[in-house]
Amino acid sequence: MIHYFSKGIVLEQNKEPALSRELAEFLDPSMPPKYRTGETGDISSVGPEKLIAIAKEAGIVDETDGQPLFEKLEKARYNKVQTLVADAIDDEPYISSQLCPSFQLTDQLIGGVELAQKIIGAQKSCIAIYRDIYGVGIKIPEKLGEIPIERISGTYPAEYRSKTIYQSRSTAVIGSCALIHLYRAVYEKRCQTTCFVTVAGDCVATPQNLEASIGMTVQQLLDHCGLSFEPKRVVVGGSMTGYAITDTKSTKITPMTRGIVAFREDFDEMNYTCIGCGRCAQVCPEGLSPYYIYKFVTARRYAMLRNFDINLCIGCGTCSYICPAKLDISSVIMRGKQEYENYLQDQLRRRQKDSAQ
Amino acid sequence: MKLTHRFPPHIRSRENNVTVMGDAVLALLPLYFMACFFYGPRAAALGILSVLVCFVSDLLCQKLAGRKIGVIDLSPVVTGLIIPLLLPASIPYSIVVVADLFAILVIKQPFGGLGQNIFNPAAGGLAFVTITWPNLVFRYTAPFEKLPLFGEITARLVASPAYQLKMGGIPYRDFTDMLFGNFPGPMGATNILVLATCLIFLVVRKSANGKAALAFLGTVTVFAFVFPRIDGARLQSVFYELCSGILLFGVVFFLNDPATSPKREASKIIYAAIAGAVTMLYRYFGGFEEGMVFAILLMNAFAWGIDMCCEQWISRERRKRLEKKSEKL
Repeated sequence: MIHYFSKGIVLEQNKEPALSRELAEFLDPSMPPKYRTGETGDISSVGPEKLIAIAKEAGIVDETDGQPLFEKLEKARYNKVQTLVADAIDDEPYISSQLCPSFQLTDQLIGGVELAQKIIGAQKSCIAIYRDIYGVGIKIPEKLGEIPIERISGTYPAEYRSKTIYQSRSTAVIGSCALIHLYRAVYEKRCQTTCFVTVAGDCVATPQNLEASIGMTVQQLLDHCGLSFEPKRVVVGGSMTGYAITDTKSTKITPMTRGIVAFREDFDEMNYTCIGCGRCAQVCPEGLSPYYIYKFVTARRYAMLRNFDINLCIGCGTCSYICPAKLDISSVIMRGKQEYENYLQDQLRRRQKDSAQ
Repeated sequence: MKLTHRFPPHIRSRENNVTVMGDAVLALLPLYFMACFFYGPRAAALGILSVLVCFVSDLLCQKLAGRKIGVIDLSPVVTGLIIPLLLPASIPYSIVVVADLFAILVIKQPFGGLGQNIFNPAAGGLAFVTITWPNLVFRYTAPFEKLPLFGEITARLVASPAYQLKMGGIPYRDFTDMLFGNFPGPMGATNILVLATCLIFLVVRKSANGKAALAFLGTVTVFAFVFPRIDGARLQSVFYELCSGILLFGVVFFLNDPATSPKREASKIIYAAIAGAVTMLYRYFGGFEEGMVFAILLMNAFAWGIDMCCEQWISRERRKRLEKKSEKL
């Protein structure tokens, strides 16, 4: 059990009804499933190196960070990691594309965790699930099979925070969907041609989790689930950190796509100005002062940013969420991060030039 | 299907500028109810006039500055509601208008309007009329004397507890009268229980910082206990210091003003504690019976500095922690 005394925000999760609906397959007939080569022998006698080679051949990508699974496994094996954590945290609203497969394809997940544990040589393993979701039809059990569930509690961004804690503890964190794909690659010889996507939002008629072929367009998935209203915004990724797209017909599903959220309303263009309430500084999970950083970045006074540790910003969007003036604080800070780096390099170059003269 | 581009996050909290300012307005309305109960309809008339003057002058300033006006901005309403509450009910209408105009035209708009002002507009306006007409501003009528709406006011004048403390006397009001606000003073600042409720409401709504309020009240308590103005009665002194003047009103509405207070929680607490000390120093050595508006204005000037010092301290601690962490890995 991990306790957090950190800052953050409480979000309405809105995971239902997608989470309780059955995981449906929605495959593109023009993309047949690919199978890896090589014979299926007795799996228990296959060595870790061979299993890593299978993961490499199957082309499995970790959905949480976009790294190839075999690289992560090799690295964890090299570092002699003690614990393996299957990440099914899903703390962003609307998104349940890790939780839903974890509960509905439990056998495959357990098989995948056991395989990964064997590859890494870890002594312990657990599945991490975000606890603070309310109004959900699913009750989180104590154990999935033989694998204990670690309940992650706390405010958003819980997933990011838990990962930083795991990193300091010699733990490997691997996405649960990638582990399901690992199981399929080893036992069923299937390469990764699909990924799990949540299609949700307030104008989707039947919000649900789909297993969709990689390479399908966002439009196809939206059409499959049906739209009850004309959406004003379509977001790929989570509702807090995903990016809005303007062309649904040419945006394709990638292994990292965890959700497609369509919103009916565009939030109001009210041209509010900052009233200086300081709520952003109270909720920032990294303990920064988004109020001052935002002001200095918009005024281009980079010299003032010396004490503000702008490089620690994780872009979680908490400050923008809470802002009563609806300012785009988080995206301005992410832009400022890059500009501040350029400014520092500029300063360094100037100083070197001065000392050379 | 026409889609718009937006930066993340794509969901936002329901709070906006109007609700944040609306909380303050909601908290101020019960005080007007109490003022009408004690002093009759004149209290409401003062409030309505003041709000109108503030709102119109603010709107005109925004037009002059060429800003786009597309949204109801409740901040001049808050300023307009605060100013009459800190003046006696018998105050002439003209003085309220002067305070309003000074607040908006001198203190607020020249610095850039909403969120940009360095000093609290209501405190600035009040400080101006206090210095200009001290004899009118500190002339209190007895509660339950119904004042006429217009014309000459003939009412019994009484000394407020703050004045009696200043003069070295002992306020004669008893405990319950003080709590229920049945004592002479500014027309909205005497209702201690109502103000305490407002504070709790604003803390629950996250518009006010409870720790900062406690820091302020704690500093005042310590000062009153260590240096009592009523000789030999320390606890009595603490009670009268906390209840007299505009102290609690200032804690609720000046200390937690969004624009002029520091942003971090740590700096808010430091700011509040120093403001409490400065208020008590004004009470001990100042020329007037109540100096909180001056203390608040003085502290407003230092709010930015306190924030910067805290930021430096916090970032130093953070870097030390990160270094230790990277050494461990």
